[in-house]
Parts: sequence; structure tokens; C-alpha cells
Amino acid sequence: MKEGSARKTDFATIIISVFMGVWGFAILYPYYNALIASIAPQKEYMLNPLMLFPRTITFDAYRFLLRGTNIMLGYRNTGILLVLGLPVSMLICTSTAYVMARKHYPGKKIVNFLILFTMYFGGGLIPLYILMKEIRLTNSLAGIALLGAGNTFYAILVRNYMLTVPDELEESARIDGASEITVFFRVILPLTTPILATVILFFTVDKWNEWFNVMIFVRDSKLWTLQVILRDIVFSSTSSTSNVSAMVSVEKTYYAQGLKMAAIVLTMAPVMMIYPFAQRYFVKGILVGAVKG
Amino acid sequence: MDTYRYNKKTRLHKKLFQHRSIYFFVVISLAWYVVFCYGPMYGLVLAFKDYNARLGILGSKFVGFKHYEYLFSEPEFWTALRNTITISFGRIIIEFPVPILLALLLNEVRGKGYKRVLQTTYTFPHFLSWVVVSSVAVNLLGSDGVINSLLTHLGMKSHNLLSNRGAFRSILYISNIWKESGWTAIIFLAAITAVSNEQYEASIIDGANRFQKAVYITLPNIRPTIVVMLLLAIGGIMNAGFDQIFNMYNPTVLKVSDIIDTYIYRITFQTSGDFGFSTAVGLFKSLVNFILLFGFDRLAKRLGEAGLF
Repeated sequence: MKEGSARKTDFATIIISVFMGVWGFAILYPYYNALIASIAPQKEYMLNPLMLFPRTITFDAYRFLLRGTNIMLGYRNTGILLVLGLPVSMLICTSTAYVMARKHYPGKKIVNFLILFTMYFGGGLIPLYILMKEIRLTNSLAGIALLGAGNTFYAILVRNYMLTVPDELEESARIDGASEITVFFRVILPLTTPILATVILFFTVDKWNEWFNVMIFVRDSKLWTLQVILRDIVFSSTSSTSNVSAMVSVEKTYYAQGLKMAAIVLTMAPVMMIYPFAQRYFVKGILVGAVKG
Repeated sequence: MDTYRYNKKTRLHKKLFQHRSIYFFVVISLAWYVVFCYGPMYGLVLAFKDYNARLGILGSKFVGFKHYEYLFSEPEFWTALRNTITISFGRIIIEFPVPILLALLLNEVRGKGYKRVLQTTYTFPHFLSWVVVSSVAVNLLGSDGVINSLLTHLGMKSHNLLSNRGAFRSILYISNIWKESGWTAIIFLAAITAVSNEQYEASIIDGANRFQKAVYITLPNIRPTIVVMLLLAIGGIMNAGFDQIFNMYNPTVLKVSDIIDTYIYRITFQTSGDFGFSTAVGLFKSLVNFILLFGFDRLAKRLGEAGLF
């Protein structure tokens, strides 16, 4: 009886493991197929889009993309957004977290309310659009970096972690005559590095994936980030310089779908390569967040 | 003791002085919130004005509820509102249970290495943008794509699935499950690992099988997490997933996929460009959103759960 149930359990484990493997395959396959479409010649792919590996491999699509479109410019602009955005984001995020974590100071209730209220209510797109125009932050990557600098969710993650820092440490630093700013930089931040690493990664991914704000607030296509250029290449092009379909019809050797997939691969490759190593930091982030905000 | 002899005002001054350097951080933080969150809120007054760029927000003329009168008589708005609610409820019914199920199953997988590979695979699409994911979906579902190739092999006619009104919403649900369910499963998995081992051991003695353990021990234990996630989903009904829909929809399926956010985008940047009217639609959405979030947060607290934020 007991043996029977043990064998049954094993069988169930196998079924579950196989099912989960199939699920994982279903998640990965579409991306893999995009990769195949980007390196297979058109004839081969059209004949059999389901193939697991093409017989001939061509990098023509990539060569064309790097030469004939703004994709390199996109990499540069996304890089600029990261360099400009990360420091401001971390400054505002950690300040917000500290202000929420710090016990008793006059006005704390109002400050907390002002921060948390924005999670429930916002002005919406058009007032923001008018504001960005009025304070001249449109058409600039610095403007996009500033706009995306605050994030209340991430600030709450950091605050939760800060709350675990023992009060005595802060107290003793203060008794030693350390100012609030010294306490923040010398005591609090060093003790919260694990969550800071997580939040830096979250911000990095957000900025890498930034497209909406750039699409709305940046007219000049020379300032577009990678994602916006990808959008332009994949969904009916608007700017004449990267009008893939038009170029394809001129050059003939490339085909639109292969080019589009190559653009996708170029956009997601960095995330795919870094993610397996960074995964545990991301997961740690939501585990801390799950503690309660 | 001495401080009690000061009057209230000096005491406050002293307290402020004592804590003066925290305000350094308060100023940095609030500066951002005031400019980028509260600044736009002031612009909401445009919902009751006829916006004229030359006159600015302040100078534009008040028109009362004119925009709302027009809005509520506009069939396109009602379609968008109906779609928003339908798609959100569709997500709750179809998408919401998937991560819970995945977490329960993932918890049963033996072998640390295999489990880690699965986790990495499941969670990584969460970190891709909808621009990337919907491009991949378009490749898959387009008339030359893999799905159609399969359909023709099975003897069916190939057609672009993304232009199929009957299939479009299902595609939204499935692709969102494909992108996000793994990541959300991690939240539930974290709750599952926190369940004490003793309960499971006791149930084994009682002869509970794997399925019974999941239903009678794991699920009740992760109920608080499920409730909070569910309330969050219901509170966010007015957001039916702009990023996804905006990157996947096309004019053929507009009738079943146009939501409030895509409607606002189109009337502002593609058709009329009447900022006063667009603001009015945005304010309507923000208000309903606020009432829902606030209400469900209260409800969560009353039910003894942690609340949303």
C-alpha cells in the first residue's frame, strides 16, 4: 500500500516535471523562432517556418540593419539615458525610501501622504504633456531621465529593507555626532546594498525598455532610444531613414520579416545574456517587497 | 524637562532644528513628486476648459461640463469603456489563476538545478518590453508565421490571426500569460515556501496525497497573497494593459480592443488633438481608478489583510 502510493507520487512528479518543461519550451520557442528567422535565408524560412535549425546561415539582415538603419544610434541613446537616468533615479528613490523609513520628524505624516497618494491618483497623460512642454523637457534625453527618475514601488522596496536596519546603529552614529547626511551615506546605504543592487537592476531594465515616454515626448528621431527605433522598424515605419520595407524593395536581397526579427534579437540580446546571472537579484527584490509595503 | 517650559512654537522650532538634515532628503524626494506628479494634477483643470496653447492652462476659457456632455454622447468612448472592463475581467478570470497553478506545480518539481532553469525561463519575458514581445507575437501569428504554417499543415486556411476579431482578445490573454505568469508565480512561490513544514508533515501522517496537500494546506496558507493580488487586479480594472494592446492592435480589431488609454492616445495624438477633451477623458479614468483602488484597499484592510501599499 505504502509502496504503491510512493510509486504513484514518483509518477506524478515525472508528469509535472515534463509538463513544466513543455511550458518552458513554449515560453522560449517564439524567441528562438525569431532568432532563426533572422539568420535563415527567406526561401528556407518561408518554406518551413517551424524548422529548428536553418541549413544555411546568413547575417545579411544584421549587416543591413547596422548599416542602413538608426539602430546603432538607438544603442547610443539608450546608453545615454542609462548614464543620465540611473544616478538621478537612485538619488530620488533612496531619498524617498529614507524619508519614509525614518521615524518621527515634524511633517512626516504629510510627506508620506504626498508620496503615497501618487500611487492612487495621477494627472494623466495630457496635463503631463503640457507640463513637459512648458518646462522645456521635451525633445531631450535628460528630460526623459528626469521624468522617469521617481518610482514609488521601488522606493517602498528600499524602505522595507531600511526598516530592518537596527535603530541602535543609527542612534550610536548620531551620538557620535554624525549628521543625518553622514548617517544616510555611511550607515544606512552600506547596510542596504543588497536591495540597492536589485533596484539598480530594475531601473536598468526599465530604462532599457523605455519607449512610451520617448515616443510621446521626443520628436527628434536622432534622439530615439533602441525600443522606439525597433517599433519604427517593426510596425509600419514613419521616418524615411529607417523605412525598412522601402529599402527592402530597393535592395531585394533582404526580406522584411528577417530584418524585423534581427532588430528584435539585437534589442533583446543584452537582456537575454545578462538575465540568467542577474535573476536572483530580481527575485530577491519581490521577496522583500512581498513582506508588505 | 526643560523643553516643557518653552511654548509650543519654540518647541516646534527646536524640533525642526534637531531634525533639520532629514529635510535635505525630503526636499530631494518631494521636488520630484511635486513637479512630475502634482504638477500634472494642476493641469487637470483643463478638463473644464477649452485649451488654447497661446493662452496657456490658466488663460484658457472655462466651459464647464461641455467636454463630458460630448464624451458621454460619443459611441467610441462607450466602446472603449466596455472593452476596458471586459478585457480586465477577462484577465481576472483567465489570466489570474495561471500563476497560482504554476507556483503550485513548480513547488512539486524535484531537482534544484532543473527548478532553477525553469524559474529563469519562466521569469525572463517579464523583463522584455511589450514592443519586443508583441513583435515576436506578430512574427508568430502573421500570415507567414509559425502558427499559420501549422494550420495549413492541418489543412486549414492561413490568415493573419491578429486581424481576426473573434481571436484577438484570446491572443491578448494568452500572450500576457506567456509574458507575465512566470514572474507573478514567483510571488506566490515565495508565499508557498514560507508555509511551515510541520503542517505538511502532519498531513502526511494523516495520509494526505499531493493533491490534498495543495488544496487543504498550501492554498489556505497563501490565501492572503492571493487576496491582495486579486484586489490589486480589480482595483486596476481601468488599466486593461495599454502597452500590450497599443503594440498589438490594428484598425481591423479596433472594435474589440480599443480601451480608454488607447482611445485617449488616438484622440490626442492621431485625430482631434483637443487637449481639453482628452484631459476630460483622462480625469474620468483617473477618478474611477482612484475610487476603485481606494475602495478595494479599504476592503482588504477590513478583511484583515495587509492592504495594497
